[in-house]
Amino acid sequence: MARFHRVAIYSSILISIYLLVLFDVLPIPLIDASIAQEILPVIPWWLLVSFGSYSLWSLGWGVFTFRDCPEAYQELLQEINEAKNDLRSRAVTVD
Amino acid sequence: MNPFASPVSLNMQGQYNTPNTHKYSVILPTYNERKNLPIIIWLLAKVFEEHQLAWEIIVVDDASPDGTQEVAIELARAYGEDKILLKPRAGKLGLGTAYIHGLDFCTGDFVIIMDADFSHHPKFIPQFIRLQQAHNLDIVTGTRYRSTSTPYLAGARPGGVHGWDLKRKIVSRGANFLAATVLNPGVSDLTGSFRLYRLPVLRHIITLTQSRGYVFQMEMMVRARALGYTVGEVPITFVDRIFGESKLGADEVVGYLKGVWQLFKSV
Repeated sequence: MARFHRVAIYSSILISIYLLVLFDVLPIPLIDASIAQEILPVIPWWLLVSFGSYSLWSLGWGVFTFRDCPEAYQELLQEINEAKNDLRSRAVTVD
Repeated sequence: MNPFASPVSLNMQGQYNTPNTHKYSVILPTYNERKNLPIIIWLLAKVFEEHQLAWEIIVVDDASPDGTQEVAIELARAYGEDKILLKPRAGKLGLGTAYIHGLDFCTGDFVIIMDADFSHHPKFIPQFIRLQQAHNLDIVTGTRYRSTSTPYLAGARPGGVHGWDLKRKIVSRGANFLAATVLNPGVSDLTGSFRLYRLPVLRHIITLTQSRGYVFQMEMMVRARALGYTVGEVPITFVDRIFGESKLGADEVVGYLKGVWQLFKSV
């Protein structure tokens, strides 16, 4: 089963439970009905905003902690020179 | 406590006296790499000789017009015909088929794939090998985004990139976040192509992959995870485009999104 199918099955189960609760078909046991009716319609938007802010934080943090490595570049240039000299002595055409 | 981070294990990693009896094959697909090929082979040979490893390099050249094959033959004469194998192809046929072609000639039991344009430095190969041996992993991949390895490896330096401006970094992190959310691959660098594979694992995965380009690298990793192979990561430094500028066009972005969607649907 591909990931797409797994995600589709899980999300359709969760969405149908949510819709049943929203339209008063299923009761929620421990919470007052009036409070539940206030919170339930807002849950999808809350999920969207939470996901959006998490993604934004993740992106920002990722860019902030992205490491530059100038020393790797310098080291590489030196090694290229060394390699060229050694290879010339071994009868290999470089540049 | 993590037994691999205990003092005994830390002291032993990479310092045992018994030589490594495996043979490591490097597959280098080349196209117009006449200037880079001798140097990358020099670096690889130096690293392998320093660490006393049995090695071979398979150069898969796609009929380069600039004389790459002549240089490869000179290098084979300098290093040995058994060490540098030139296996040319008739035309520019793509990366995936280049690996499949190279795999037919492998006599090693591990295969390393990497780019021949100095973006991947061979000095990380001994770290890949140490991590693979310490944890008996099937695949070890290099990651540009982490500072430590997973699982733990003593002596791993933080990864990084040279030559990327802010916009490129944002695009890169965004692409990675998207792929991680949609595919949950378990590795931090999904498009990286500096990897060490066990030979039968690579053979198995490569027969299953269907995409082209760099989505091919992503697909191999995602399929490997789906099949249950163990994967480790070592931080690497990536020097992008030592000659010239790195460009990322809209076509590539669209291709990437399509590739991620394809993988989501099929794996």
